[in-house]
Amino acid sequence: MRTFAAAFGFQLTTMRRSIGDFQPLITAPFFTVIFLAITEHAGRTDLAPYAVLAPTLIALWGMALNVAGELIDSERWSGTLEALIATPSSFASIITGRIAAVTTISLLAFVESWLVAWAVFGITVPIEHPLEFGTTLAATAFAMAGTASMMSAVFVLARSARIFQNSLSYPFYVLGGVLVPVALLPGWLEPLSRVVFLSWSADLMRDSLTVGSVPAAALRLLAILGLGMLGQLTGVLLLRRVLVRVRTLGTLTYA
Amino acid sequence: MNVVAGGRIMRHSAANALADFKAMYSIRTWSFGWLGRVVSQVIFFALIGRLLDSPEAAAFLLIGNAVMIAALEAMMVVASTTWERRAGTLPLLVAAPAPLALVFIGRSLQWLPSGVATALIALFGAGPLFGVTWSPAEALVVAGIVMVVALTTYCFGLFLAALVLRAMELRNIVSNVAYLTMMAICGVMVPTTFWPGWVWAVAQALPLTHGLRAVRRVDADGIVSSVALDCLLALGVAAVWLGIASVTLHRLAEQGRRDGSIEFAS
Repeated sequence: MRTFAAAFGFQLTTMRRSIGDFQPLITAPFFTVIFLAITEHAGRTDLAPYAVLAPTLIALWGMALNVAGELIDSERWSGTLEALIATPSSFASIITGRIAAVTTISLLAFVESWLVAWAVFGITVPIEHPLEFGTTLAATAFAMAGTASMMSAVFVLARSARIFQNSLSYPFYVLGGVLVPVALLPGWLEPLSRVVFLSWSADLMRDSLTVGSVPAAALRLLAILGLGMLGQLTGVLLLRRVLVRVRTLGTLTYA
Repeated sequence: MNVVAGGRIMRHSAANALADFKAMYSIRTWSFGWLGRVVSQVIFFALIGRLLDSPEAAAFLLIGNAVMIAALEAMMVVASTTWERRAGTLPLLVAAPAPLALVFIGRSLQWLPSGVATALIALFGAGPLFGVTWSPAEALVVAGIVMVVALTTYCFGLFLAALVLRAMELRNIVSNVAYLTMMAICGVMVPTTFWPGWVWAVAQALPLTHGLRAVRRVDADGIVSSVALDCLLALGVAAVWLGIASVTLHRLAEQGRRDGSIEFAS
């Protein structure tokens, strides 16, 4: 846990010097304006919670994916990967801690979006079910960290996967129902959507922002946590494979 | 400098652009990676029409976002212009007798054919799913307008690129913020009249507004003469941006020669 906390803090310090890492937080207000412009133009004020929530999920996914793609490679290029692996600390904890820091920061996008809705369109989006919303947000951050840890290992193991890194945004925004609920997608896409944790998160968060009951909240929360855990475990296993491979091939570091 | 020499410089620069593109993408990664991503982007926004339970909104969003893809790729000129500085070749370009603007006009042309191709595939491929269809003659005209959109947005992007050469770390942020702003105000998501007057006025200074209006006109009225006027307006606005970009690049070179800032800035 101490390793995790140290990695978390290290990532925060590193990001203070890199404005590019905050790009999804910079673009989130623009997405909010775009989504709200569409719903307001259509006279659908009832969809404002959808428009405020979607930029949060987009920022969360974008920031985590970005750091997942760079993390191990940047350690390699700077020649610090050897030292990191030589220490007795768990390498997976370091990776997860750093990604967790990024996902935590990305949650600020919700505050940004909420404020933009209020400042630009005069819309206030009440959080009707704060407990459900808060726990879903936390579970989503956890699931994102797990998924991103898995991806960071995949990007190293399969170099060709890295080429597709930039392509992993909008297909997942559609499948994850970040703005348009999965129920409105063609039926054949639904099974695929349900293995993307975002689809559970988006549905549950939308429900917790709107009036009315939140059906089966605990079960849906478990689905998010389960998918996050699955990602995390896969990530740990793949990271082990990465380490065995780079040690065997002698490609631990480029520097 | 005569036109032939200028053309030669741009041709060599464009060859550099093409080499960059080939190094970046294979047919497989372009088709399954980039094309898949942008078509998903268009579908993502068009699906909002389903959320609104409005086929008209879905068609409006599909057309706007498909055309936007050509502009989006053209805006990559902002990032790729800075590659020269990152590679350390900018001081050499400044020292060379050729005007910097001519080099940079050709330097990122690779994005234009790619942007036009992806936009048209999204428009003609995903369009029918959302009720957007064209006659062969209309499709041909729309293809021409999308080329105008790509070219004219490239001129605007070149101006931003000239600014970003002084602040390299902002390259991705500037291009993303610029394209999201265009998405918001140029009539991609909602009609430009939705916005307050001053936002509408800003949108008129962006070539995409006029090009996209031309595409929407073909969709609504068929091939009418005002489509050509919209395109001419887009080209006129773009010419102004190109002029400002050339002056900005010239000033960057002159200042760099005077104070040596080109080598040391990053």
